[in-house]
Amino acid sequence: MKRNRIIAAIATAAILISACGGSGNGTTSGEESGGRSATADGIKDGGTLYVLTFQEGASNLDPQRVYTGAELGAYGSTYARTLTSYVPAAGKDGAGVEPDMATDLGTHSDDLKTWSFTLRDGVTWEDGTDVTCGDIAYGISRTFAAEVTAGEGPMYATTYLDIPEGDSDFGSAYPGPWLATADQQALFDKAVACDGKTITFSLKVPVADFAYTVSLLAFGPVPKAQDTADQYALKPFSNGPFKIESYEPGKEMVMVRNENWNPESDPVRKPHVDKIIWQYGLDEAVIDERMLADSGDDKNAIVYGGIQAENLQTVFGDDSLKDRRTDGFDGFVSYTMFNNETVNCIEVRQAIWLGLDREALRTAAGGPFTGEFAKSFVAPLLATDYAPAKLVDGLNEDGTPNLEAAKAALEKAKTSCPDVYAKATGDGLRFDHPDSDAWKKNIAIWIDSMKAVGVTIIDNPIEPSKYYATINGDRGDIMRSGWAADWANASTVIPELFGKGGGFNYTNNESDPNFAAFDEKVQSAKAETDRAKQATLWKELNQTIIDNVWAIPGSATKSQNLVGSNVRLGYQWLPFGWYNLGAIGLAG
Amino acid sequence: MFFFVARRSFFAVILLFVVSIFTFWIFSALPADPAALTCGKNCRPEVIEANRARLGYDKPFIEQYGSYMKGIFAGRTYGEDESGVHCSAPSLGYSYDRHECVTSLVAKTLPVTASIAIGAFVLWMFFGIALGTMAALRRGKWPDHFATVFSVVGISFPSFFLGLLSILIFVIWTNILPFPQYVGITENPFKWFTALILPWTVLAVLSASTYIRMTRNGILEVMNEEFVRLGIAKGLPRRTLIVKYVLRAALTPIATIAGIDLAFLLGGALVTESVFNLPGLGKLTLAAVINSDLPILVATTLVAAVFIVVANAVVDIMYGFLDPRVRSK
Repeated sequence: MKRNRIIAAIATAAILISACGGSGNGTTSGEESGGRSATADGIKDGGTLYVLTFQEGASNLDPQRVYTGAELGAYGSTYARTLTSYVPAAGKDGAGVEPDMATDLGTHSDDLKTWSFTLRDGVTWEDGTDVTCGDIAYGISRTFAAEVTAGEGPMYATTYLDIPEGDSDFGSAYPGPWLATADQQALFDKAVACDGKTITFSLKVPVADFAYTVSLLAFGPVPKAQDTADQYALKPFSNGPFKIESYEPGKEMVMVRNENWNPESDPVRKPHVDKIIWQYGLDEAVIDERMLADSGDDKNAIVYGGIQAENLQTVFGDDSLKDRRTDGFDGFVSYTMFNNETVNCIEVRQAIWLGLDREALRTAAGGPFTGEFAKSFVAPLLATDYAPAKLVDGLNEDGTPNLEAAKAALEKAKTSCPDVYAKATGDGLRFDHPDSDAWKKNIAIWIDSMKAVGVTIIDNPIEPSKYYATINGDRGDIMRSGWAADWANASTVIPELFGKGGGFNYTNNESDPNFAAFDEKVQSAKAETDRAKQATLWKELNQTIIDNVWAIPGSATKSQNLVGSNVRLGYQWLPFGWYNLGAIGLAG
Repeated sequence: MFFFVARRSFFAVILLFVVSIFTFWIFSALPADPAALTCGKNCRPEVIEANRARLGYDKPFIEQYGSYMKGIFAGRTYGEDESGVHCSAPSLGYSYDRHECVTSLVAKTLPVTASIAIGAFVLWMFFGIALGTMAALRRGKWPDHFATVFSVVGISFPSFFLGLLSILIFVIWTNILPFPQYVGITENPFKWFTALILPWTVLAVLSASTYIRMTRNGILEVMNEEFVRLGIAKGLPRRTLIVKYVLRAALTPIATIAGIDLAFLLGGALVTESVFNLPGLGKLTLAAVINSDLPILVATTLVAAVFIVVANAVVDIMYGFLDPRVRSK
């Protein structure tokens, strides 16, 4: 699961219990849960909630194309119900899934390859018609339609469902509902079968936690009659307590209450406000000033994008704000990817890691508030699969650069890989990153750090909401990224980020001679049913990635937010690293 | 006169045609791959190629340009199966980033930019000419000093600085105005006005500075002309002399520049629209630049070019009316 700045996902109670253990090393700020703003104190039904954000629009509103943690939670809690949903609660209580449109968490065959769910009565669309099993099957089938959904959302449907491989754009024999012949459609209908209100999934691999998989919006329903293909992203049909009244990227989105939502059919959502207005494209500095001033409608506002680093001390140094602020781990690990095809020289990659001023980056981001230096690509909150790896020799623990070691590594590269050395020290390496205010500062630190080592960095900022789509087509030499598990297993981290065909592997590590053995082990780990053995394999694989420096782990991050003084139930919903938008109410 | 207008209009059309080819060629030659940009994080080369075909980017340049021009007059469908999207004429392309026909995006954003541009234009012309005239007529006195300081301040401060400062002062610190949130003039004239008063003022302060100096210098120059001295010698009242003769002569070159400035602003006030979060053509263009959204970039560049070319033609024609020497050339 990707995120832009503050977005993350954590999936189970097991992780969260360990999260409560927190940092404890004194290097980070104390965790804060929002005080009064996270409670229901004085809450009244009605009113308008505002969401202020620097983003130009939603990364996508189409359920099959949403894959940003905060937005998955925000849209799932408002207009897009699924078979199961995360429990709407603060802390560890919010980490498990519960039945949503389904009557239970599903029944499965002994081999975990067949899963069935039954739809509740009374689940309706915004026009009052029933949500059917066929709507769910149709929604899932859209993931296969490369010409529309274009690989923007999670691809678990294509990797899990028992459909043969074939010639479609995603390598499946089923090309999605628009292009499928009758025979091809039959393949999908066999894998996702409807019998009245019961939907049965046939999987090609055993999946023990499929109840979590179907909580993704990509496994949600879409009514075929309302599907406008690419333009469904402008006005998706609602089956939740809110519906989209208007959406204008660059300006605003207005969500209003869906009068055809039946609360009795929904054990998960308890909405309070009448309207939610997203204000897009705001200047980040202006957002912070407005939130600090807390006047007018801004008393009813929350922020999507966090607090700017320069304002963190102000916000957390002022006790009068303790009932409006949150601070905590978000289960996310930031990292820097190498394009191992163009930077195919481990000495250069090591030199960059050793010479990088990680402490300066953390300071620029807001200091210890931002989190701890990561020692793994798996977040510490995934306690079962996490172990701090042995990092590159000579790396300073305090995050300061080791110029001597960096220059020594670069000197070795001069003879071991002269082409890459010449590029790194001559024309330079292109660094792709989101064009946010935070990264304007970070890239300056990168450029300065690398200059001291002797490496040239070419800055390439990309609009945040299109960052991943851009690097997917035109990849630089170095790229910023970050990841949180889709659920509590490193199977949603290591194969996805570094394995062959991993949905989000931008490292081009397949060109590395060590990749074949690595990927063979990844496949073994995925097939391992003994959880303890599987965890050991993930830890070893993580160490392999670090030994090969295919990427540099950055921070196990924390996020901070500030809400308006009227906001209530503004708790951090840990599975998504942001608020439970649909549950927020207002006081006063 | 008819032939003069016809000739100017003909050349304007030819110029637009050349601009359209050049614009289309420049953007098609950029290294950014528009087909790849339609694809998500989990994209595959096959998807990129399929989208390239849907958008017509797999065709030779001339064919792409031909399809584009045909779309302007006859509309165009992107994609061949049921999932395709049809954009009615005049189709300026389809944005997969915004999931919308570009013409529709331009139609939505143009009124915002026009509201900003026309309001700011009226303000800066009024204050620029008024202060410039006052400075010239009271040369060396406090009105002249005030106008000089005002124009230096206006020219020195960048628009984003003045914009942010005005938001802090009038919106956040004093709450005199609500945060600018654009609504159409027909929807709510009062909200429309309150959303635009700050952007108008900022743009007016910036541009009025130039007009103050030009008006002041123009008037002082004209005041030294022989016909002015003759008017004074013949005993014409000062007010008549200034308004009827001096200003008319001094403002003729200003009218030319004002026309071009307005046309330029109608093409999008990038910084002002961004600072005040006004969803106009400039903000649309800026987002398209950052996203490498080529269909939008081509369209907004063409729209801006149309404004400039038309303004130039109008100014030329007006000059023809005002000055017979221009017609005869």
